[in-house]
Amino acid sequence: MAELGRNGIVDQVIAPGEVFPDFMLPSAEGQLVALSDVLARGPVIISFFRGEWCPFCRLMLAALTEALPDIEEAGATLLALTPETGGLPLTMKTYHGARFEVLSDVDCGVGLAAGVIFRIPNLYRASLGNGFPERHGNSGMYLPLPATFIIATDGTIAWRFVDVDFSRRAEPADIINAVRGLTRRK
Amino acid sequence: MMELSQVRYFLTLCKTLNFTRAAEACNVTQPAFTRAIQKLEAEFGGALLFRERNLTQLTELGRNIRPHLEAMLEGAEAATAIAKSAKTSGPASLKIGLGPGVGATAVAGAVRAVAQRLPDIAIHFEEAGAAALADAMLTDRMDCALLPEFYDIPGRLNRWPLYTDIAVAVLPPEHRLAEKNAVTAGDVAGEKILVSEYCGGFANRLAEDTGMTLRLQNCQGASAQLLDLIGAGLGMALLSNRLRIAPPVTTRPFHEPELRRKIFLTAVAGRPLNPAAANFVKLCRSQAF
Repeated sequence: MAELGRNGIVDQVIAPGEVFPDFMLPSAEGQLVALSDVLARGPVIISFFRGEWCPFCRLMLAALTEALPDIEEAGATLLALTPETGGLPLTMKTYHGARFEVLSDVDCGVGLAAGVIFRIPNLYRASLGNGFPERHGNSGMYLPLPATFIIATDGTIAWRFVDVDFSRRAEPADIINAVRGLTRRK
Repeated sequence: MMELSQVRYFLTLCKTLNFTRAAEACNVTQPAFTRAIQKLEAEFGGALLFRERNLTQLTELGRNIRPHLEAMLEGAEAATAIAKSAKTSGPASLKIGLGPGVGATAVAGAVRAVAQRLPDIAIHFEEAGAAALADAMLTDRMDCALLPEFYDIPGRLNRWPLYTDIAVAVLPPEHRLAEKNAVTAGDVAGEKILVSEYCGGFANRLAEDTGMTLRLQNCQGASAQLLDLIGAGLGMALLSNRLRIAPPVTTRPFHEPELRRKIFLTAVAGRPLNPAAANFVKLCRSQAF
């Protein structure tokens, strides 16, 4: 973590005011979901998750599942992105009984475009085990920072939460407030 | 931490092996280009290139990370490209090879998902031998292919395990073995078994595994013709459980021994696929089968 902070990791993450690149990714159920289609319905919350194995991600997913009615009431759609493949996005979604889309960011492409991808430091690899090649379907050792973005309907980033400490996540209440601020402004 | 532009610069440099030309190709000043490469080197904790007077070369670290970064950049470009092409809707094509005895049933849903996004897409399936399909991919006549294990997949192809095929006994109408819940090696000892280049090789493996002498009837052709002959009562076959088989032909599970084979999705490593194919591959990789 200190290493990530020292490398100025957060500087590279796309920031409020910038356009979040439009993308299309496979959903847990095997459909292609496009950001622009979802934006046509209102603001979009994009949350990056490291994977089904990560206890902090599970806590965050549980919190978001609980907060979903409020998120929907505020007019926003939630998309969860994970680099995991091989049916793990569906496992993750089913485990939480989540109604929001869980998308597979295969090879971390969208994460790279958003500036949230880092290479797992050697020291840290041992403690995480070596299941990543199978989970990600590639032999690179990369993970996203668990960042959260709120995208306004014009495609620009209105709000973001990013922290190099993977145990710190956006608070659902903060997300909902930010979305409400966005939809009220119109 | 990596930035899209740094990855793009590095991969351009891998191709040109020349800082000045790579910076020009990326439309950026050389100091900015060099800084970006240095930042990437800091991220990876080592030099990615040897910078000698007349020669720029990738270090071992640089060579190792290149395929990962290529995959990631391709992932980023495929995700944005299909989002764009779905709007502009130009002609697109998706060419998928199916190895011996590999059906399209498992991946049909992924093809449908791509075709829903790109309505003008031309879909092309080709059933052929594994070596012919590998060659078609390497010479850019095929986007990707489903190939079985027991075929030595060339190192230049990426491979992702998709699912495991299990052999089933495919029986003619009113066949005596249809009365059984499951069929074993002993049951088929006296039966005529139809084999072709495209039946998946299960019968040959059964003969090898058990040392039995089977009554094999060679009949070359596509799986559809093989099924027609089974329907006409010529004999039975051992085929993948993933093939969709319609009456009057029936199937029974086959065990003792169970015959399995892994099926891999393959595509040429380091060669960008068109948006349709790239997203087909992503869809297949993201699912469990």
